[in-house]
Amino acid sequence: MEAPSNPEIDLSSVPPLGALHFTAVSEKYRIMRIVQWSVVQLVLALCILAPVLLSGLFEGVKVSADFGDGYWRIPFLVQGLLGGFWLAEEWLGFPRRGYVVRERDITYRSGWFSRSTTTIPYSQVQHIELTQGLFARWLGLKHLKLFTAGGSGNLRIAGIQEADAQVLRSVLDSRTGKG
Amino acid sequence: MDFLEPKRQHPLGVLILSVQFLWKLGQQAWPMLIGLSISIGDNFWQNAILASIASLVLTGAYALLYYLRFKYSVEERALIVEKGIFHRERLQVPFERIQTIQLFQGPIQQLFGLTGLRVDTAGSSGSEIKLVAISRTAGEALQDILRSQSSGATEPDAEPEVIETEGHNKTPSQTAGQAHVQLVSLSFLELVKVGLSQNHLRNAFASLALLSYLIGNRPEAITAMLDAVPAFMAPLIAAAMVLLILPGMLLFLMSGVAVSVATAFLRYYNLRSSIGPDGLHAEMGLLRRNTFQMPFARVHLTIWRSNWIRRKLGFETLEIRQAQADSGGQGGVRVSLPAMEPHHRAVLENVLYSDMTENPVMEVLPVRRLRWLLLAFSALPAGLFWLSFHPLAAALATGAWLAFVSWTTAKRYGSFRMTVHSDTIVLEKGWFWRQRTLLRLAQIQGVEWERHVFLERRSIGHVVFHTAAGARRFSYVQKSQGEKLRDFAMNQHHAQNSRA
Repeated sequence: MEAPSNPEIDLSSVPPLGALHFTAVSEKYRIMRIVQWSVVQLVLALCILAPVLLSGLFEGVKVSADFGDGYWRIPFLVQGLLGGFWLAEEWLGFPRRGYVVRERDITYRSGWFSRSTTTIPYSQVQHIELTQGLFARWLGLKHLKLFTAGGSGNLRIAGIQEADAQVLRSVLDSRTGKG
Repeated sequence: MDFLEPKRQHPLGVLILSVQFLWKLGQQAWPMLIGLSISIGDNFWQNAILASIASLVLTGAYALLYYLRFKYSVEERALIVEKGIFHRERLQVPFERIQTIQLFQGPIQQLFGLTGLRVDTAGSSGSEIKLVAISRTAGEALQDILRSQSSGATEPDAEPEVIETEGHNKTPSQTAGQAHVQLVSLSFLELVKVGLSQNHLRNAFASLALLSYLIGNRPEAITAMLDAVPAFMAPLIAAAMVLLILPGMLLFLMSGVAVSVATAFLRYYNLRSSIGPDGLHAEMGLLRRNTFQMPFARVHLTIWRSNWIRRKLGFETLEIRQAQADSGGQGGVRVSLPAMEPHHRAVLENVLYSDMTENPVMEVLPVRRLRWLLLAFSALPAGLFWLSFHPLAAALATGAWLAFVSWTTAKRYGSFRMTVHSDTIVLEKGWFWRQRTLLRLAQIQGVEWERHVFLERRSIGHVVFHTAAGARRFSYVQKSQGEKLRDFAMNQHHAQNSRA
């Protein structure tokens, strides 16, 4: 094997990532997340409260013969706790969502409670996908997904303005593959 | 030998295919077949024989059709397979996509001097191509064609290199230009050693599970047997049970050892492996013999495992992983080579990770906090003593447990280490069961810095390396160190990939 030239590396000269400025995703995406949260919470709450509501609507229906009438408070409390945690994660984590595009790699940061910062070199991106759901289309947002070999490094950057997404895509298209 | 014309496999392929299909049918449909045999009429055996004849004929006919409609050929830079009885399919695998070429010989293939050939790609699962029966010469010729072009100019790592080893393990096949260095090959005695150093307890439990499954399927037989025993025998049986505990445990352990040795023989019988300019070569197996050929550049992870027994015997198990199809861990080839001795490791790492001979750039150890976390978690089971014992006994037992656990956690904590070379990262962990994972920065798919909010406050996090063969994580690293590591990794990755 031809020995690759291998000069010693001065670790202090390696460009640091922490000093970079992260571009935030669109503020409209926060609305989308909150709506998504509310829909899920509403459906869950309806499921939990369904027996109570049914017994209110129809005279003959008993809520529960085994547990008594107040049993629904327990799952409701659990849902409140978990939903609250999720809301905190969405609300506090939103300003932390952001990406940095560099000459040779892209970095995405997200999360409030469990935080992660993932860097993917363009040379390893196999393909790029831009997706847009119905609600995202109303808000003018797009989601960018980067696929890498093996799948464990796949990256999804959600909630980018349509125009920004197109720019980002063309930047990535010109650099991925043969970087 | 040329493969330009699309052609069928060896005629005996029909036999092999029908056995395979019959096996699959039996696996999937046996409850239905038995159910039918019982429910239609009342002659169970007659029905069963009819059903087996019918399934034999059906699978035979299906195998014949499948065989007739299956053709393979090699075009300029791709292996092409056309198959399908009603729904025709044309698979085309470009040579540069080929991850591994594997020859395999089951009992039937071994008997008639045939071989099967499997080609894996990094695509989604099910995209591999499998020929079940071609003549051995054709198989080797095909392997040569595929290999010569798949490990060609695109791979900088597959260039020829002459490796000198310490004399005694040179092979006769080592010629002037083509350096084939023999790696591990197992003699009968070594094979027994490999078998004996496996995890017997796990195997014993597996055989116990099989046994209880067999018994559990026929509870009525046991109750009938117990009913037949007269009442005065009951205390005698109970006494016999107590007497049987010790021999039973012995039998349990012996069965574990037996299973270990038997599986070692089945998997690794007559194992031979070598490395050459075109990659790693290995063949092994008794009933089903596998031959692997793997270009170095397709190796994404190498994992060295050893337990205490194996280290005493002086060897480790090597697992080589290639790119997997998705994060589910399915697909992708994993080759295990047992009984790798230290000089084998030196030879292999010299080829795969040539930068490791230089001094490491960085050495990363986990923060001290990990030690306390490990201790806290392993001390938890001591709570069980207080539930069941007298307080005094519980206090004594807890003390002993804590002493033991603090000793093991000190050992475990001391075993975590990450060594960063200019292109290679070595992750070490484990003390009794030791694991050493090597990956190349030039091949990483991404680096992740991960932590939750409480760790963030203390500037601690986990480094995750995403590779094509799955993610590898090193936990509880100081933030400054972790960020430096990430920046270094990306920098090296770009440097390596822009040169190529």
